[in-house]
Amino acid sequence: MRGTLMLAQVSQEELTHKILHTWEEAKHSWLIPIHIGPIDLSINKIIWFLFLGAAITFLILFIGARMLKDRPGAYQVIVEETYGFGRNYLGGQIGEEGMKWFPYTLSIFVFLLTLNIMGLIPNTYPVTSNLSFTATLAFITFALTHYMGIKKNGAGAYFKSWVPGGLPVKVFFAPFMFLIHTLSEIARPITLAIRLYANMLAGHLIIFVFLSFILYAGGFFSTAGALVTVVSVPAAIVFYAFEIFVAILQAYIFAILTQVYIELAIYAEDH
Amino acid sequence: MGTIFDPFNTSLIFWEIVTFGILVFLLYRYVYPVIRDQIRTRQSQIEQAIDEAEKTRAEAKELLAEYRRQIEEARGEGRRILDEARKQGDAQRERTKREAREEGDRIIQRAREEIERERDNTLREIRREVGDMVIQASEQVLGRELDRDEHERLISEALDNLEAEVTGASTDGRAGS
Repeated sequence: MRGTLMLAQVSQEELTHKILHTWEEAKHSWLIPIHIGPIDLSINKIIWFLFLGAAITFLILFIGARMLKDRPGAYQVIVEETYGFGRNYLGGQIGEEGMKWFPYTLSIFVFLLTLNIMGLIPNTYPVTSNLSFTATLAFITFALTHYMGIKKNGAGAYFKSWVPGGLPVKVFFAPFMFLIHTLSEIARPITLAIRLYANMLAGHLIIFVFLSFILYAGGFFSTAGALVTVVSVPAAIVFYAFEIFVAILQAYIFAILTQVYIELAIYAEDH
Repeated sequence: MGTIFDPFNTSLIFWEIVTFGILVFLLYRYVYPVIRDQIRTRQSQIEQAIDEAEKTRAEAKELLAEYRRQIEEARGEGRRILDEARKQGDAQRERTKREAREEGDRIIQRAREEIERERDNTLREIRREVGDMVIQASEQVLGRELDRDEHERLISEALDNLEAEVTGASTDGRAGS
């Protein structure tokens, strides 16, 4: 009885607000308003965590690079292994030429990993769960991909490579294939952006949703709330742990796909 | 919905490009070359160490072979010296034996000669003694002095005859028997 009474006290809107408060409040928290004409360049909580993530990324690697000794300690091994991971598992997916790009994709990997993990700390803002962020990064990948494709193959050869050879009724199929390939090229950055954004957002939301069940049932101090807590909190913890895995995985996927796209463009003529 | 679906957050897009650009620049400038050089340096150091270890091992092997050769040589030398000594010893023994035998023969020869000489002397002495005794006895029997020279000649003759007889008898006896 008391449970249903308490249930009525939390409205649907309030619950939604509780679940989404991280994203709702971030734009207006810790605000330094900057406006250039109609463009809003204000520094808010999102930007602060962006800065913090970049700073931590740089410092982790920079301190590791400053401390280098001939006989490495644990920290140095981690930094060197991170570098080795980039060289062995990111770079050179297709050919030697792609090797030059692994520091870039490694930077993406460490940066995204830092932001993903940071976002898991309560009261922070998960920057990677913002579509603007992932879309911008994906667009940079998109731009670099086609820049490298044109630079390495020449614009004519690069775009010609989008149409596979040996087509029947070339007049009809060649433009069709070109269109298909163009669509897939456009789909790449979109999927890249949405994959990371959706994974990170969903991960955070699911934890909040599980915890919000407690509020929905009337709060921890009600009977129903206490019962729901017994289920919700362990479930949230499980998803939280799973989120750590997702954080690493999604950072890796974004980095490796960036590397693969760039290398595919570099070796476009070979395919 | 605008809160979680936020594709045109201009401030985030702007600051992201700036931040990410600076981050990548700093990493390319201050971090990656240092780590790369460090890894390369260590790699070359390890390679050098491996080379050195290999060289040392080869040297040790060579040294061991050298020592083995020397030991083998020393063993051969020892065997040779031993053989030489044995040979020398054998030769020495032979020589000593031979010398001893010769010496013995010589001594026996000398002894024989000595005995011969002694016998001759003794015979001569006996002869003289017998002569003297015969003369003395004859003088005593006859009661006068005999001509010594004459007597001696006679005795000598008698003895010679006796001697001849003895030898003749012995030859006869030998012939008779």
